[in-house]
Amino acid sequence: MRRYNMLLTGLLMIGAGVYLFFARPQILPLGFVLLAGPFLWFAGIAVACAALPLLVLSTPVPPTGFFTDSVAKPPAMPLRQVPIEVLLLQIENHVRLEQAAAESFLALPTHDQLHSKTPSPFVN
Amino acid sequence: MTHDFLNGLSAAEAEQALSLGTRVIVPSGTSLFKLGDTADRLFLVERGRIKLTLPMWVRGREENIFVEERGPGQAVGWSALIPPYRFTLTATATLYDAEVTALPREALLKHFAANPVGGYKIALNLAVVIGHRLQLFQTMWLREMQRTVESRSA
Repeated sequence: MRRYNMLLTGLLMIGAGVYLFFARPQILPLGFVLLAGPFLWFAGIAVACAALPLLVLSTPVPPTGFFTDSVAKPPAMPLRQVPIEVLLLQIENHVRLEQAAAESFLALPTHDQLHSKTPSPFVN
Repeated sequence: MTHDFLNGLSAAEAEQALSLGTRVIVPSGTSLFKLGDTADRLFLVERGRIKLTLPMWVRGREENIFVEERGPGQAVGWSALIPPYRFTLTATATLYDAEVTALPREALLKHFAANPVGGYKIALNLAVVIGHRLQLFQTMWLREMQRTVESRSA
């Protein structure tokens, strides 16, 4: 809704300017009406023109709130940003898992065992 | 305590082989041996765990990367029996102090010469340990290569 606020404001300014200029209400001084009417009119056109490209080009922003249906998944932390101690533990864990997979293959050597997918998160 | 290295030996033969060594306590976090050190002793793990590592460059600095872990009953440092008698890994006690029996190469070779039957059994056990390590790492290498091929073909 906020995306349309600027356009609505511009249109309201145009309407108010046109009304002041052509209706010339008696309760307002003529000088004020002749100055404020065209000013609101032209300023409203400028605001509406500025609002249009923003309306077309801007991407809709999802509503932010506590009870949102979709929660953005945090992006996976690139290896470069992982603390080195964590990275070393990940490598150790990977080696242990791969050894276990290799032990399984040696206990029962089959093609499937050899190429079983690793559960290691280090490479997945 | 039974040791892989002494499989097939009678209790007396195993005792005789173990009497060649000395018990060594390896405090937690301390290296038993380092990559490139002269390998003149074979170690049998009695208590605790020994972590074997290799150096790898990670973010511009050298880090010891986990290779495998050996526990009670397992042998560490068979480079002591294989030329050029240099350790190819670094061995470190893990979270707790470890205890090992250190068997000097010279004493072992003399023992093998004096007891060929026992020496033959120990040599076979050594072959099993080395063969298993070879097969294990061959499998791991192939799995890593498979992943590399898949990622480069994708």
